[in-house]
Amino acid sequence: MKQYEQDSTAKERWEKSVSKAIERFPERKQTFTTSSGIEVERLYESKEADTSETLGYPGEYPYTRGIQPTMYRSRFWTMRQYAGFGSAKETNKRFRYLLEQGQTGLSVAFDLPTQIGYDSDDAMSEGEVGKVGVAIDTLQDMEHLLDGIPLDKVSTSMTINAPASVLLCMYLAVGEKQGVPFEKITGTIQNDILKEYIARGTYIFPPKPSMRLITNIFEFCNQHVPKFNTISISGYHIREAGSNAVQEAAFTIANGMAYVDAAIESGLEVDDFAPRLAFFFNAHNNFFEEVAKFRAARRIWAKIMREHYGANNPKSWKLRFHTQTGGSTLTAQQPDNNIVRVTLQALAAVMGGTQSLHTNSRDEALSLPTEDSARIALRTQQIIAHESGVADTIDPLAGSYYVEKLTDEIESQVNRYLERIKEIGGAVQAVEEGYMQREIQQNAYEIQKNIESQDEIIVGLNKFELEEEVEPDLLRVDETLEKEQIDTLQAIRNKRDNEKVKEALTALKETAKDEKANLMPYILDAVRAYASVGEICNVLREEFGEYTGV
Amino acid sequence: MGKKIRVLVAKPGLDGHDRGALVISQALRDHGMEVIYTGLRQSPLQIAQAAIQEDVDVIGLSSLSGAHKTLFPKVIEELEKRNASDIPVVGGGVIPSEDIPYLLEKGVKKIFTSGSSTDLLANYIQELIDPKTEPITPPKKVAHIGIAVESIDHSIPFYTDSLGLPLEAVEEVESEGVKVAFIKIGETRFELLEPLNEESPIRKFLNKNGEGIHHVALEVDDIQSRIEYLKTSGIQLINDKAKPGAHNSKVAFIHPKAAGRVLFELCEYPEEGGEA
Repeated sequence: MKQYEQDSTAKERWEKSVSKAIERFPERKQTFTTSSGIEVERLYESKEADTSETLGYPGEYPYTRGIQPTMYRSRFWTMRQYAGFGSAKETNKRFRYLLEQGQTGLSVAFDLPTQIGYDSDDAMSEGEVGKVGVAIDTLQDMEHLLDGIPLDKVSTSMTINAPASVLLCMYLAVGEKQGVPFEKITGTIQNDILKEYIARGTYIFPPKPSMRLITNIFEFCNQHVPKFNTISISGYHIREAGSNAVQEAAFTIANGMAYVDAAIESGLEVDDFAPRLAFFFNAHNNFFEEVAKFRAARRIWAKIMREHYGANNPKSWKLRFHTQTGGSTLTAQQPDNNIVRVTLQALAAVMGGTQSLHTNSRDEALSLPTEDSARIALRTQQIIAHESGVADTIDPLAGSYYVEKLTDEIESQVNRYLERIKEIGGAVQAVEEGYMQREIQQNAYEIQKNIESQDEIIVGLNKFELEEEVEPDLLRVDETLEKEQIDTLQAIRNKRDNEKVKEALTALKETAKDEKANLMPYILDAVRAYASVGEICNVLREEFGEYTGV
Repeated sequence: MGKKIRVLVAKPGLDGHDRGALVISQALRDHGMEVIYTGLRQSPLQIAQAAIQEDVDVIGLSSLSGAHKTLFPKVIEELEKRNASDIPVVGGGVIPSEDIPYLLEKGVKKIFTSGSSTDLLANYIQELIDPKTEPITPPKKVAHIGIAVESIDHSIPFYTDSLGLPLEAVEEVESEGVKVAFIKIGETRFELLEPLNEESPIRKFLNKNGEGIHHVALEVDDIQSRIEYLKTSGIQLINDKAKPGAHNSKVAFIHPKAAGRVLFELCEYPEEGGEA
């Protein structure tokens, strides 16, 4: 009886927060109904269930049922398609196209030289310029990339890690030129170096100076760019590298804790930066497991932030996340089947309460997506949002025996991994010892063996194959782009005030020697003077050294 | 023989996706090979140098960033500069099929695209470096072309009267449930196949496709070792062992899946006479 009273007061509390939320973000409809006219309530719950500690109400600790009181009844998730190829100007065209098509946020993919801090004319960049994303050398490329896109209205997510500070400064500098103050700039940088060592490979510096750059960004943005998400702690690539769902959640959360530790150690208060931490997860095919993974991750993070770190601001407890569907689940065989996989995965992300979503294009196992494929991918999200009705009530899978059990089980398995990593000495140490790398590799090998033995069936790959395969139209990056990009860069080197560049780089180098100093203002100055990504990173390489792998 | 095959698995360029490279390294180790993995971001020069220093038998390159057209040929160039072009190079990753001819022309031995099995790759390397089977001579000729018909009696006049070809023989092969007519043309034959009962494979073929070309038979030497060879090259067969066919021949069928939907029959004839 007592329990029930507690729940009913909890419910009243939630209802109050709903009223407040609705004032700011009215629900999409007055009443939601099914196709037969049955009214869909905001929330369904069991009278018997103990909702206070394990589930909580939506928007309430521990956020198992979602981080907002009304979830998608007010606003759908942000539909954010990752794009970027070739030159900044070409990518700008794709961005404008996507915005016209109803996309609500931008997401930038950079080419590998940019991600690893090499200029397009560096010998290491040969053959890679503009291949997997847009090539950015100097502020001028960023100006072209964002031409005609108002930075006070559009939020931009940038998949950039080791040189995140440089690209963020370029973005801010474009804002300055548009007359948009730093306080109004919104968006996300990935800035998650630990998973680069573990799974993705675009690291530059060793872990320690890398962690410093990250905390420098936390501090700078807390003071000057308060609406910017300073990190997107990513399980996505850990999963793509071959981990399972539990490992994905566990290693991501372990990395998240390492960033919190580093920031606290550098003197920041947990509530000063924790509300700006964001996460990035994968969605694979095992539907219920994926939903449970998202729900469990929210609960685990909330408990860690409140109980372990003693955060007081509820915003610090909330695990906000972006989801991308699983690139490695797509097959080159019968590529149209991938549309169906992406639909299932996207649905799992929505059922799991994602804040934003990228749906992969059907042809990604073959090459970069064509415009047609990218449009189908976006339409997939729009159909889920507008036609399926799954977004009309909050956390509709809650109370399913299976889903709740899976959520609990994933939570306890993740906690076991977190214990193990703690014993090793934390995520940074575990990365340096190659612990997570080995766990992932072992799992990746198991998956491959299971596919080859047909214990795991991949439709069209090891069963239901077609004899003739049609190659769809593919997008190819123009091979002359590399030369054009190099010419542009060299033209800027001749045009800019090289004295100013030299001064800025020297100041940056000197400041890098002082471990306590924040590098952001110096990087910003260098960027404003049109110093290139490679020049800035080379200065830091001289001071910090380079990471060479386990 | 007996010496372990040494493989250098390398990631040229800046691409950090090494799941494939790592899985393949482990799979090749499980196949008894010694694998040296270079780690990320290797330049073509570094890869060539590592291959020579480590004295490997073969190099496997993995790329997912789209830089394969630049980087794979560079590795081969660097090997040539160092008189090490005898080290074969194979490649894999996200590689569009239209790029494959270019890469092969530049000297890459073979490209394994997404979805290739690790067994196939291991067997390929094994055969490339240390062949278990003798090199195989190509099939000698088309032994016959099998044509499924509803009725031999109705079909024969076209061949004998309209085309003027000689009918050699008509016989029943009980085990296959078919009646067969042999019509000689030059060095080869048409083989008209009429089903004798509902269970006959020819009956099933006719129900599904109607009359038409059913299979192409290739005359070969030493059919069993050829079957083994095809198996290790990843070619799917309908018969793993040769079975007796007409005229004291030994026959086996290749799965049409492996041959662009054409059903090929291999047949070996005793020394004397053959089918000719």
